[in-house]
Amino acid sequence: MTTTKEKMKNSEKDIDWKEVNKKINKYIEEVEEDGDALIEVLHKVQALLGYIPKRVQKKIASDLNLAPGKISSVMSFYAHFSDKPQGKYQIAICKGTACYVKGSVDIIEKVKEVYGLSSGDTTDDGIFSLEVVRCLGACGLAPVMTVNGKAHGLLNPDKAVKILEKYKNGEM
Amino acid sequence: MKLKNKLDNIKENYINKQKNNSEVVIAVGMGTCGIAAGAEEVWEAIKDELENRNLDNIKLEKTGCIGLCAREPLIEIRENNKSTFYGDLNKERAREIIFQHISQNNIISKWTIDTGNDFFKDQERIVLKNCGEIDPESIEEAIANEAYQGLAKILDQMDSMDVVKLIKEANLRGRGGAGFPTGLKWKFAHDNDAEQKYLICNADEGDPGAFMDRSILEGDPHRLIEGMIIAGYAIEASKGFIYCRAEYPLALKRLKKAIKDAKDLGILGENIFGSGFDFDLDIRLGAGAFVCGEETSLISSIEGERGEPKPKPPYPAQNGLWDKPTIINNVETLANVPEIVRHGSDWFKSFGTEKSPGTKVFALAGKIKNNGLVEVPMGTKIGEVIFDIGGGLENGNKFKAAQTGGPSGGCIPIEHLNVSIDYESLQELGTIMGSGGMIIMDDQTCMVDLAKYFIDFCKDESCGQCTPCRIGTTRMLEILEKITNGEGELEDIELLKEMGEVIKDSAFCGLGQTAANPVLSTIRYFENEYKDHIENDYCGASVCATLFNSPCQNSCPANVDVPMYIDLVRQGKYKEAYKVVQEENPLVLICGRVCYNLCENSCNRNSIDEALAIRELKRFVSDHLLEEEGAFPVPEIKEEKEKEVAIVGSGPSGLTAAFYLRKKGYKVTVFEKESVVGGMLATAIPEYRLPKDLLNEEIAVLTTMGVEFVVNTEIGKDLSLKDLKDRGYWAVYMAVGAQEDRSLPIEGNELPDVYSALDLLRDINLGKDVNMEDKKVAVIGGGNAAIDIARNLVRLNADEVNIVYRRTEKDMPAHKEEIEEAKYEQVKMHFQVNPVKVISEDNNIKGLECVEIKGGEFDNSGRRKPMEEDNTNFVLDVDVVVSAIGQNVNDNFNKGDLELEMDNGSLISANDDHSTNIPWIFAGGDCVTGPSTVVESIQQGKEAASSIDEYLGGDGVIIPEKQKERKITSEILQEEKERVKMPTILLSERKKGFVEVEKGYSKDQAVEEAERCLRCDVEDK
Repeated sequence: MTTTKEKMKNSEKDIDWKEVNKKINKYIEEVEEDGDALIEVLHKVQALLGYIPKRVQKKIASDLNLAPGKISSVMSFYAHFSDKPQGKYQIAICKGTACYVKGSVDIIEKVKEVYGLSSGDTTDDGIFSLEVVRCLGACGLAPVMTVNGKAHGLLNPDKAVKILEKYKNGEM
Repeated sequence: MKLKNKLDNIKENYINKQKNNSEVVIAVGMGTCGIAAGAEEVWEAIKDELENRNLDNIKLEKTGCIGLCAREPLIEIRENNKSTFYGDLNKERAREIIFQHISQNNIISKWTIDTGNDFFKDQERIVLKNCGEIDPESIEEAIANEAYQGLAKILDQMDSMDVVKLIKEANLRGRGGAGFPTGLKWKFAHDNDAEQKYLICNADEGDPGAFMDRSILEGDPHRLIEGMIIAGYAIEASKGFIYCRAEYPLALKRLKKAIKDAKDLGILGENIFGSGFDFDLDIRLGAGAFVCGEETSLISSIEGERGEPKPKPPYPAQNGLWDKPTIINNVETLANVPEIVRHGSDWFKSFGTEKSPGTKVFALAGKIKNNGLVEVPMGTKIGEVIFDIGGGLENGNKFKAAQTGGPSGGCIPIEHLNVSIDYESLQELGTIMGSGGMIIMDDQTCMVDLAKYFIDFCKDESCGQCTPCRIGTTRMLEILEKITNGEGELEDIELLKEMGEVIKDSAFCGLGQTAANPVLSTIRYFENEYKDHIENDYCGASVCATLFNSPCQNSCPANVDVPMYIDLVRQGKYKEAYKVVQEENPLVLICGRVCYNLCENSCNRNSIDEALAIRELKRFVSDHLLEEEGAFPVPEIKEEKEKEVAIVGSGPSGLTAAFYLRKKGYKVTVFEKESVVGGMLATAIPEYRLPKDLLNEEIAVLTTMGVEFVVNTEIGKDLSLKDLKDRGYWAVYMAVGAQEDRSLPIEGNELPDVYSALDLLRDINLGKDVNMEDKKVAVIGGGNAAIDIARNLVRLNADEVNIVYRRTEKDMPAHKEEIEEAKYEQVKMHFQVNPVKVISEDNNIKGLECVEIKGGEFDNSGRRKPMEEDNTNFVLDVDVVVSAIGQNVNDNFNKGDLELEMDNGSLISANDDHSTNIPWIFAGGDCVTGPSTVVESIQQGKEAASSIDEYLGGDGVIIPEKQKERKITSEILQEEKERVKMPTILLSERKKGFVEVEKGYSKDQAVEEAERCLRCDVEDK
């Protein structure tokens, strides 16, 4: 089993830092007039890389003229931001009230069991990462999960795994 | 150019373009729900099909949420003034619809959704008017549907104070939940003469179970933008922000496009249409922190900080974003504004109640049939939203509670379905309006678990600044975990209440102050469930998993170890299977035929396909055993005792008590007033459901054990209670049932051809000559007795059998499967009809005069009270009337020196341990509970046997505890697989006589069905 640290290193290896830094510079340029736009920048980086690596946090801090601690303080407050690399497919299983009363816990347990994941984790092969979220707002189709933002509704444990397998096998 | 003129031009152009183009529009609902259900595929299929068929004059449009999420993907076909909705589509159906409906002009009615139905009819759509109607990505179409007309009006005719006044007059209240008057809030900011002010729209819809704002953003973004510009104008702010959840990518995409389109037209920006008013709009993303719904936290978040709340005052209206006066309104509040500006405050006040005018949008979700987005006038009854618009609960399950207000709210139980939806009424019930999430729950939801869920949510989302919220929610969660693990104590309930009140009083912000509400509210209405967990280690909803082995066993009143015997069926060990059932329920064959399988509701297989056929398998076990061995296994009597016990009544409760007491070694005599043993099993349950020779096979187990049966002996008539004592019985169990039909309280009830259902069932079952040939019969009532007698009459070749019931079909107490069978047997059902008079001539019935009923207010059972409608009387042409309107206890047993206390003179008054006012007499079953099911009577018999054993000096243990090894014996089938249908006989055969309707499973079928069991009882799979 690889440790989280190793995983991070491995995933950072593949990042084209020159390109990424260029993009981050652009993000910061866009918000420069708006000095309070830390969260906006974090959103953009998260969207770009799927997470916000430590070295990027440092860069943002220095570019926005903030203390590095400020970045992690803000990031840790919001569930949306992560400093860990995400899987190729990011699974978000909803645990909102409607999904909860319609059995989403069973789905969460099943997915955890099948892929050996816990919430906030990524599989060793980097294929899936799992997040248990509070309401995706698609309660009409509860229980719901999203995979890279695409919603799948009216699930049961078996259906959920079948869908994930399709992603894994590149059929989706 | 004035904005008004510009809008009118765009509108005219748009309409002209439409005229030239086409008259048919196909709108595909493309909200998040629709897309998740497959709307994109449907859209592609339609597009492709239209191209293939060269139907280029048809306009294909993407709209926002149409509202009926339960039936997604949905499309609407609009032709001239006609509109047709199709639901539950897939690409194949979509193609078929294009071919049939568009090319051939044939409406495919089996896929349509009746728009005349209550879902759309009972709504009042102000905010959602355009939602699902227009393409949210087309500003032209929005304008053609009156977008920005309100803005044009204020730019032309009103100054900022006029707008503030108008909103104050309209008494628009904040739709975010608390209901603060919007106009008043605006006035605070308006009156502040700071140079820079801000307007923020809170679209961080964080309540779990709420999706109203998402639907508005996705379906009609221009309405929100217009509302914001008007609000900005009123408070004289030049900059607005929409703070929207990052979890709503589609809403964000559409919102961005809408803002850009509005900017391009000059509707947003500097000096809007020469008015001198500047307004710019930006989006800020939320980042998944629930507390950011709180105003000051939200402001911190926009400022790029941790979203921690700040003390109030100063209020944001004085000192908000970047210390400037700031107004924060919710999406729905702002979406109301353009309509109020266009139509005036009086128009707005014509909807809703005096204190809460207008409408409210709800996201109806959970265990409801018509899951979706609804908008109703304030003042609507909550029951109307659930049962009329919502269509009631899915799978016809029983309503338990509605939850509103998310983690800050509470629940509304069944006895309050008449509550009016307005801020004050909901508050009185201990909940809040909230932003509009309404989660419907049925009896499969555990209220303690729900409280735990919400406290867990608040604990996670607590920002941690203040102790009451940070530590308080953690401690409350610990206590709730203790309770749901069966380790709670009664004092915990008081402790939860006390802590809840303290957190309410001392927490820093709204999140903390309301965090305890779901706990307090569930204790208020469902304290019994808390007590069940604490005192009995019992979770009635089969949710708290540490308290039971399997949900089916947990929900079986007789506690039968279902998965164990199902597994034995799978292994072909039928005798062992019988013994496993018999351990907890001696009436195996009987329950295999007539049990209303409460176990199946909680079967986890329901979430995959459908519940396991538990009853059918039980029946197979007993049938097979009888065939192979000719008799059932008889339990061993370990140690004979001298003491004698009398049981009065040989129905399921009496038989069960006799079984367990005899097994313990007591000498048991059962007294039965009829000539046959079995009580209602023998005299009321029809032969075609439970053949009497089979019933006797199971009673034979008791006689083999040595239970004495004395028939034709009625206590109170042939013997008195005191006689039993004098004969040396140490204890008596009264299980006489509720066998007396209530008499029909209408004129003509004394006529010879007016029968009581139970009398008639008894005569038929005992083989008396009952001649109903060619008669037209009306059976009055909606319970199982009504259905049983009606189906018997079909077999007696009655010419016509009618059931007359005063409520709706959904409200019938009779079992659903039985109702379906009766319909198949051509019994005519007349719902919402009440008899008023039996019409006769020379003592012969000439008809039954009835009156139509409409549903009034909701009663405590969650059903509408039947209200007779004037001048709707009609006569049903019948010549026999059977009354089946409920049963009472015949209290003949009280004729004598001893008298058992009765509740309200109708049921025997017994304690929880089944003891009565006379120490040696115990009572249970229908004579204590009123008419109930066979399996519940069995439960009562078991409890009574245990109490009697204890009373007689025993340990009260009637079923010795056994350590069972729970393991998987073969692979668990998790793929979808339909349940094996029970084979039944045809109608023609049914009409010929009383042959059993269900034929039973073959061995192969039984094993096939048993393979579907998920073995929820095995921990390590």
